[in-house]
Order: sequence, then structure tokens, then C-alpha cells
Amino acid sequence: MCVAMPGKVVKLEGTVATVDFSGNTVRAEAGLVKVKPGDYVLVHAGIILQVLTQTDRDAIVELLEEMDQL
Amino acid sequence: MIDIIRFLREYNGPSMRLMEVCGTHTAEISHSGIPRMLSKQIKLISGPGCPVCVTVTDYIDKLVELSKTPDTVVASFGDLLRVPGSRESLSDAKGDGARVHMLYSPMDLLTLAKEHPETRYVFAAVGFETTAPAYALLISQALEQGIDNLQVLTSLKTMPPVIDWVCKNAGNIDGFLAPGHVSVVTGSKIFENLSEKYKIPFVVAGFEPQQLMDAIYALVKRRGKAGVFNLYPSVVTKEGNLQAQQLVQKYFEPCDAAWRGMGTLPDSGLVLRKEYARFDAGSRGLNQDHESNPNCRCAEVLMGKISPHGCPLFGRACTPQSPQGACMVSAEGSCFQYLTNHRED
Repeated sequence: MCVAMPGKVVKLEGTVATVDFSGNTVRAEAGLVKVKPGDYVLVHAGIILQVLTQTDRDAIVELLEEMDQL
Repeated sequence: MIDIIRFLREYNGPSMRLMEVCGTHTAEISHSGIPRMLSKQIKLISGPGCPVCVTVTDYIDKLVELSKTPDTVVASFGDLLRVPGSRESLSDAKGDGARVHMLYSPMDLLTLAKEHPETRYVFAAVGFETTAPAYALLISQALEQGIDNLQVLTSLKTMPPVIDWVCKNAGNIDGFLAPGHVSVVTGSKIFENLSEKYKIPFVVAGFEPQQLMDAIYALVKRRGKAGVFNLYPSVVTKEGNLQAQQLVQKYFEPCDAAWRGMGTLPDSGLVLRKEYARFDAGSRGLNQDHESNPNCRCAEVLMGKISPHGCPLFGRACTPQSPQGACMVSAEGSCFQYLTNHRED
């Protein structure tokens, strides 16, 4: 039930965003987080829960390597 | 570069029991075949992470009753429809003429309620911290738009109390794959007290196989040590979505909640505050649970005490076509996932 999908905001009207999931667009409420067209967002139950930030795989690997040395 | 796959395959240290408490993690772990890639010393156990599976029959019975009430429509996410109540499911009731709608989002109820002011719409508001903001937003917008023919029947639950209960009562858990999308809302900090209390690691994990393997590796490396690690930083922060948390706090308050197989756990749920009680279709006190099949062992599966293979009904009397318990109904249920992915113990 906690399934959430990442998609791209293609339009914003008030607090309602149109989000593109690989060509399939849905309307999602954007009242819980500031978004703008072009943002990648996480959508759950028709609500945008968060804007995705770019993460570097290297940062994760670095953290895991630190654990290795603890 | 660490060879995580090889490390986890060849691990021959002390045996470890790692629990995931997110149905979507259970599904991804099963789909991707991760258990077969791990050493026999590392056992993954599905915990109470599927909201539909932990819902008690009193709640389903109340939804069925509402769906048969004149001028009332019950709306729900799809995976709740086939969950057996003590007598029938919502799907059964719909087959008998009751008014049950399946919706993609609770927000769709606003349009329906406006278009049909003569009808009372009740949303089956099931879920964890991830979904609670959607219901808070629904109530907020209903108030804003002056819609008064819309209610929710809540069975909302929160993760920390049930993880605490599992640690105390199911025992022998060496680490938790912390639920990724719950953490988006709550922040990873909600697991800090539990980690300290039981001296076990929590790793917030994403949902791709690589992310899950990273998280399992971290849990194995941190065996016996407290600590909360966020390996899903693209959407999870330590503090979470504060706006969502504030909205939930505005409309909901903690309550004792009934969990299938575990009984009523103090302050483990959310219910509408008294000032918004007119939006509540009768959620308080729905605490009793009556399995429709006495041989169903969903309760022990949910606690991680047995694997689905330990249930005598699994794959025989209980299948996705003919589910006897909630864990076989939901696509995130442990039994459904074990059966459809041929997952072994």
C-alpha cells in the first residue's frame, strides 16, 4: 500500500500537478511540498510526497566502505 | 569497490534474522529473488508492513455494514476489497448489490461528493504514516470546499509501536530494513530510539534490488550495534516531510489500535481529532478480530514467528484466487508474495 512512484512534473495549476510516468500522465496533489515543472517527484495515492534529489551512487558506496572499516 | 553480492553469498558469520516492515519491500525482495542470493546464515523475515494484512475483521465488517446502508457509498483502494471480514468481504458485498467504489486516490472522493450531494461517501482510510497525509489533505480540502457528505473510516497505524512490540514479543531480530516510504514522511529519526533501545541497526532502504542489497550488507556489517542509516537519500531526510507531519497532526491524534495477531497496541494508530469527528464514519473501538478460517495463521506470519510455508492452508486451501487470510489477498502480503514468486523459507 505504501507504493510510491517517481515521475516528472510537466504542468502545475495551483496545487494540482500533472505528473508524467514514462508517458502515462496523472494528476497529483502538490499541496505537501513545493514543486515546479521539470521536478522529479515521488507520488503516493495521488499525492506528491517529496521532490527527488539527485544522489550519487558513490556517496552510498563510501558510506558502506566506512561501515566495512568500523 | 566492495563486492556486496559475493560478501552476502559467502557470509559465514553468526546467523542473522533481518526483518522488513514494508509490504513494498517484501514484494521487491520476492520479485528480485534476493533471498536466494544470500548465505543461509542471513534470513529475511516479513514483518507487519502491509496495512491491509494487519487490519482486523471488525473494521472490514464495519465497511461492509456501511456499504449496505442506504444512500451511502464506500470507496477504497483496490487491495482492501477482497480482504475477508468475519462474514464477507467488501467485494462479496458489492456482488450482492452494495455500493463500493475502487479509487486511485482519496482526493477523487471530493469530485464524487460534489457531484452527488445526496450521497454519503466513506473512504476506507487504511495505511501507515505514508498514506495518512493523503487523508489529512482530503479532510482539509473538504473543509475548504464546504463538502459535508464525505467521511473516512480510519484504520491508520504507525510503525514505531509495532516494531517495539515485535522486538519485545517476537524476538531475535538482528536488524530492520526500515520502510522507505514511511520514512519519506516521518524522517529516519523515528527509528533512533528503537535502535538504541534494542541495540540493533536500522537501515532505511530504497526499492531497487541494488538498494536492498546495500541495505542488507549494511545491516550485516552493523550487527549488534545501534544506529540508523539512510541509504535512500534521494527522498528520505532525517526530519522527513514536515509539512505532511504538521497536516497529519492537525487533523489526527494518536489512539490505541488493533493489529491482526498482536492485539491492541497503545498509541499505535491515528484517529480524527474530536473537533473533526463529523468526518469520522465510526472508526473508534473497531478492535475485534475473527479469522474466517480457524486454520489461518496470518497472525503468526505477520509477527515473523512462522514463514508462510508454516501455515497448513498455504498454497492449498489458501491461494490468491481463494484467499483465506489477508496476507494472501494483498499484492504486498507475505503469503501472496511467497506463493507467486516461489519464495522458499
